Amino acid sequence: MLSRFREPALWIALIALAATGFWWAGRDREPAVHNGRKVITWIVTISPLRDFYEQEVAEFERQHPDIEVRMIWVPGSEYHMKFKTLAAAGRTPDMFYSGDVWISYLLPFMSDLTPLVQRDAAEIGLDDYFPEIRAAMQRDGRYYVVPEAVNVALLYYNRRLFREAGLPEPAADWTWDDLVRAGKKLTRPATATDPGVWGCSRMEGWWGEWLIYVRQAGGTVFSPDGRRCVLDSAAAVAGLKFYLEKSSRFGISAPGGYEPVNGFVNQRVAMLVGGHVNYWLNYNQTPGLDWDVQLLPAGPATRRGGEVAIAGYALSNITRHREETWALMKYLTRPAAIAAIVNRGGIAVRRSVAEATLRDPLRQGSPRHLAAVYAQLKYAEPIPRHPDFIEIMLQVVQPEIDRMVMGEFGPEEAGRRAAAAVNQYLATFAGRTPP
Amino acid sequence: MKSRRAEQLWFWLFTGPALAGFVLFSLWPMLRSLWLSFCQYDVVSAPHFTGLRNYAYLIFSDPAFWPSIKVTLVFAAVQLPLSLAAALGVALLLNQPVRGRGFWRSVYFLPSILPQAASVAVFVYIFQSDGGLLNRVLALAGFTGPAWLGSPAWALPVVIMISLWGFGYPMVIFLGGLQNIPRELYEAAHIDGAGAWARFRHVTLPLLSPVLFFNVVMGVIGALKVFDVAYAFGAAQGLTPGGPARATLFYGLNLYQQAFTYFHMGLASAMAWLLFAVIMLITWLNFRLSRRWVHYGD
Amino acid sequence: MDQPRRSLNLLVVVLLVLGAAVMLLPLAWMVLTSLKTQPEILQSPGPWLPASPQWANYRTVWEGFAFYRFFLNSAFVAAMVIGGTLLTCCPAAYAFAYYDVRHKELLFGALLATLMLPAQVTVIPLFNAYAALHWVNTYLPLVLPAWFGGNIFGIFLLRQFFRTIPRSFIEAARLDGASEWTILWQLVVPMSRPAVLTVLVFTFLWSWNDLFNPLIYLHNESTYTLPMGLLYFIARAEQLAGGGTGQVPWHLVMTLATVMVLPVIVLFAIVQRRFVEGAAASGVKG
Repeated sequence: MLSRFREPALWIALIALAATGFWWAGRDREPAVHNGRKVITWIVTISPLRDFYEQEVAEFERQHPDIEVRMIWVPGSEYHMKFKTLAAAGRTPDMFYSGDVWISYLLPFMSDLTPLVQRDAAEIGLDDYFPEIRAAMQRDGRYYVVPEAVNVALLYYNRRLFREAGLPEPAADWTWDDLVRAGKKLTRPATATDPGVWGCSRMEGWWGEWLIYVRQAGGTVFSPDGRRCVLDSAAAVAGLKFYLEKSSRFGISAPGGYEPVNGFVNQRVAMLVGGHVNYWLNYNQTPGLDWDVQLLPAGPATRRGGEVAIAGYALSNITRHREETWALMKYLTRPAAIAAIVNRGGIAVRRSVAEATLRDPLRQGSPRHLAAVYAQLKYAEPIPRHPDFIEIMLQVVQPEIDRMVMGEFGPEEAGRRAAAAVNQYLATFAGRTPP
Repeated sequence: MKSRRAEQLWFWLFTGPALAGFVLFSLWPMLRSLWLSFCQYDVVSAPHFTGLRNYAYLIFSDPAFWPSIKVTLVFAAVQLPLSLAAALGVALLLNQPVRGRGFWRSVYFLPSILPQAASVAVFVYIFQSDGGLLNRVLALAGFTGPAWLGSPAWALPVVIMISLWGFGYPMVIFLGGLQNIPRELYEAAHIDGAGAWARFRHVTLPLLSPVLFFNVVMGVIGALKVFDVAYAFGAAQGLTPGGPARATLFYGLNLYQQAFTYFHMGLASAMAWLLFAVIMLITWLNFRLSRRWVHYGD
Repeated sequence: MDQPRRSLNLLVVVLLVLGAAVMLLPLAWMVLTSLKTQPEILQSPGPWLPASPQWANYRTVWEGFAFYRFFLNSAFVAAMVIGGTLLTCCPAAYAFAYYDVRHKELLFGALLATLMLPAQVTVIPLFNAYAALHWVNTYLPLVLPAWFGGNIFGIFLLRQFFRTIPRSFIEAARLDGASEWTILWQLVVPMSRPAVLTVLVFTFLWSWNDLFNPLIYLHNESTYTLPMGLLYFIARAEQLAGGGTGQVPWHLVMTLATVMVLPVIVLFAIVQRRFVEGAAASGVKG
């Protein structure tokens, strides 16, 4: 076989090859410094804004030749999972999204920005943010987030479908009854040639829509002290009941699990309760979609209850480049950047930008009712800042809501089961982070 | 070999890496996760001992635990008989003296070794309600196919149908079992005037039952560990894996999310150990019942 | 006697052909779709066959979507895993097959028992350990176990095969003064080529198809292996299409899937007979 001479040479070559392999396998993919530039990481959801963010980052890197920004692009559906896995690995990205309830939730991973915000108050134009927004940036008087955008739950509607049904567009003083009445006229069953239209959406899988009804019916998730779940209250159950009955009784929404995929964009759903401003750009880019927004219809107890949440940037508490990341945060939230985002679709967090957009005669695309957007902010409520809120809502409450939607039991039972499950959860896991 | 000592030395040298790996990658993590299963551990702070609380919470309170077991068991109860029937059917065909048996066997085996991320992607495309291959074929036959995707009612059946594609492993095991059945038995039965069905019923099936049993056991264990299909099924549709409406939240996926999305590392360890306990139980049963029929070729 | 036999055979062949058609249809559809154009995909109902095969799709995904990187990453990981498996499993199997050492069977039994151990049991402590070592986001967590005899099933299969080699061969080599190391690599392994090849293909498949570990350990698009690259491509396309009209470029997705599946089919074609028998012998599945 091999000559006596060739064998050792072969083994040496193999060992060298393996060593090279291990070197490559173990190479740090995120070194603190690469090619003499400080590397900062930013985890971002893939969205139509991808090009925009990449341009922004390129310009930022041009202005800061000593910094390299690595963007970790993640599909929205897996963002939560990916972020937490990274954090668990001690690899929290230097910059990530946060705001409102997320501040409480992600607190163990965020830097206290107060010293930076106070130092650079003039530069970042702290006074330019609306007071509500400034409040949402803080927790216990400390700053954690620099906001880029704000989302508020609205009533979205398809103008063409309203026209075709011979209906006037939704009014600011609508109630649930008006929603149902219009929904019935808009609903058109599917036929062999026509996929049909549902009058109203039914957002499934998270709290986006049903929490609005619960709160508008006078209910809420947690007792004021945050120690007990009260989804079994009569008011909360009334909200869940309306959520369910939109399809089971009024027939204006698809039954459980049959919400058409991207129904509003595909013009198979005429009205969308809740929604997200992030989709404005999608909507405006979709040919033939003529849409607008209105105040949310008022519930039996109150008009309040739509969600409002800021989306902003947080800084990792284990970052290796605090000042560099802070520089990127400031860059991405400067008025010009926020104006650019608002022009693509969104609500301004800065007063200067809001005023400029409201006045801007050249502004194109929907929504035309920008005034309704800002009016809805007055009736909106933030998500309770319970540190376990997100986990509880997704892990504990939503399974029961899902089962209600699938027809396993009614709203009373769902409320009862959810409350019991949450209270059990709190008894078992509470105290992970102090409320 | 020069001496016993030298043999000892070579033994430890040769098995050293594997034994070290056993300790590092199996034994230590196994014991560590057993310990974690009695702890509250959220990565951010150090684990602290909470006794049986994780187990109690899982069994009595966790709203996702039993539903995920239900998904897993429904999957096992539907997918397993169907795939075993297909595997046995093809194995019976392949057991006939047909030309190119090796070729056919490979064709039927191939799908079970393809990367599941790819095969799920292919099937997600095939199951599209609009223009998907399946609904088009159904339309040719005069049926209107449902909207397979995005519906919690259809999600699990679709995952089951996707998994049915890969019945290669039980098939080759059946085939091995069939080939071990002495031909004389068939000939004797034939002479006794037994028809094809009677021969199958009274010769093949009894002699195949140990293999069948083995396949059932492996199938149940496989179902308990399902992850890739479930994850890919969600991800290929832009859904949070497990969706829609948790219809495909398999036990393995639920465990993964508890650990890496919700940081309930202690709770997830408890889930892992419950899974392990069930697998050990099944394997033990298998061993006890199989002593009669498995002989190791020494 | 002959007549019914022949008609039975015909029936068997017909059934086998029909079954095989069903089994291969998804793959055929995958390849056909990968050769279509975007408009052909979007038509409803679109054509069954592409008007003219779009081989350019392969270039598009390979270069345009940097799929070559996922491919190379997968190939690199697989190569490292195969190297480690070969280097550590062969000696272990040899030692377990031929040496007479106290507690040998016990040790071997312990190794075999880990086949039962579900990955879920070990993943959390291992993840935490890799995190503490700052090895998350490197390939080490995917590669390292293989260098520690990570493929227990491989050791089992090799041991079974090594045992069929007559001991006298080995004794003769020892009398000639060959070292154990030389006997292993120059006598036993070459004589067991089919078994070794089977183990290598098994190892390749486990590494190539693995989704679970990359999902946990790789967090940088440039490091993704094929399964993750594929799923992220779909998710990305779905979101970029704006959740819009949900227009995923399925022709490109199918191109990616084809690229991913092809090496598996080729390798399988090479070793299929032994491989299937190995699978049958073990009944052990990934």
